[in-house]
Amino acid sequence: MIDVRRISNNRWWHNKKNWMLFGIFLFLIFIRISKGSIYKDFYYFISKPFWPGEFQKEVILKSLNQETLINLRLLKKDNIRLREILSLQQSSTNDNISAAVISRKTGSWWRQIILNKGSNDGVEIGAAVIGPGGLLGRVKNTSLFTSSVTLLTSPESKVGVWVDSIQINGLLVGKGDDYPNLILYSKNADLKVGDFVSSSPASSLLPPNIPIGIVQSIDEPFKSKKMAKISLLAKPQAIDWVQILKIKM
Amino acid sequence: MDKFFIKNLSIIFFIFVPIFFLWHPNWLGFLDVQPYWPLFWLLPWSMINGSIKGLIFGLFLGLILDSLTMDNNFSQIPGLILCGFLFGRIKLHSDNLVGHFRFGLISSFGSFLCGTIYFLQILFKNFSDSAFLLFIPSLQNILAEVFLTGFFAPLICSHLLRMFKFSRRKFK
Repeated sequence: MIDVRRISNNRWWHNKKNWMLFGIFLFLIFIRISKGSIYKDFYYFISKPFWPGEFQKEVILKSLNQETLINLRLLKKDNIRLREILSLQQSSTNDNISAAVISRKTGSWWRQIILNKGSNDGVEIGAAVIGPGGLLGRVKNTSLFTSSVTLLTSPESKVGVWVDSIQINGLLVGKGDDYPNLILYSKNADLKVGDFVSSSPASSLLPPNIPIGIVQSIDEPFKSKKMAKISLLAKPQAIDWVQILKIKM
Repeated sequence: MDKFFIKNLSIIFFIFVPIFFLWHPNWLGFLDVQPYWPLFWLLPWSMINGSIKGLIFGLFLGLILDSLTMDNNFSQIPGLILCGFLFGRIKLHSDNLVGHFRFGLISSFGSFLCGTIYFLQILFKNFSDSAFLLFIPSLQNILAEVFLTGFFAPLICSHLLRMFKFSRRKFK
């Protein structure tokens, strides 16, 4: 009897293409684990010629009234002095990092901006990002040259806020449109349209007293919660330059 | 060098898909939403190379795009894998005018599929009292994305298909 033996010369591992695909797959897994830092740095270099110019920053700075600036400095000094007396967390000082917005997703599912400063410039994960108007969001991750910021409007964003007029803490939750929701865990809170919302002094994630927005509309109380729509003061769709506040240890 | 570029044309375009995804120009958007860029590449690629390769490269695209967006809880991979597989089932006939419009319809359908799968993930993850708050913005996102993807697909996909076919024919 003839012994018929299969010559196995077309197994999948003999195919060079399959190994190439496997190699690409491994490389992409690496990109996924590194949270796209290679891509973001690549994007940093090719988008460099198109970054917003310095002029907008100058226009914004010039447009600020000098008298208001002097008043602000006096109030800041006063604030720091009072905080020292009460042993509260320090509010931000001047050692901020100025950064340009090089990619912006303010609509759609993903609400994030990418800045042209990364871990190389001392940006840390969790740092607060402010623009003209107030708080924009927090740094979610950094690569060598870029950092990605989760906007307050993102469904992933949840920050503690303070409503000054009624002296109560609440939670600001993004829900994927331009108006995040303020949730107050008190059904009887006397919240009014036009009330000012800032970052909470009790929050350990953000520096205190950063302006955030104003109450635009109030929903009916629901299961011991009161909810309101907040109109943000800082508009991420129009801002080209932002400040990253360094985390105080 | 030219030979290298022509031979690897589809891969070079593949590398630039995430760059377009990051670019997100405001003037190209509608209601602040952008077309779903990966489908413009995935449709011609899958039509030429078939379902299995479409599925594999749908996975690859999903891996890269997931790493660029910061949502750790939701993934674009299921939608792109499904689209890659479905697009691969479409047979190539000819490059006539009807074909151009067909690209728009297929891309719109793909975008609707990806958007819906993504929204379902968000819904299941945030299934609570406030889940209803997500409905209107999400529906707006899906519809705007479907419209824009279908609007630009005839122009972009037909050109990419011709280029991919040209580079394939030249090196066969």
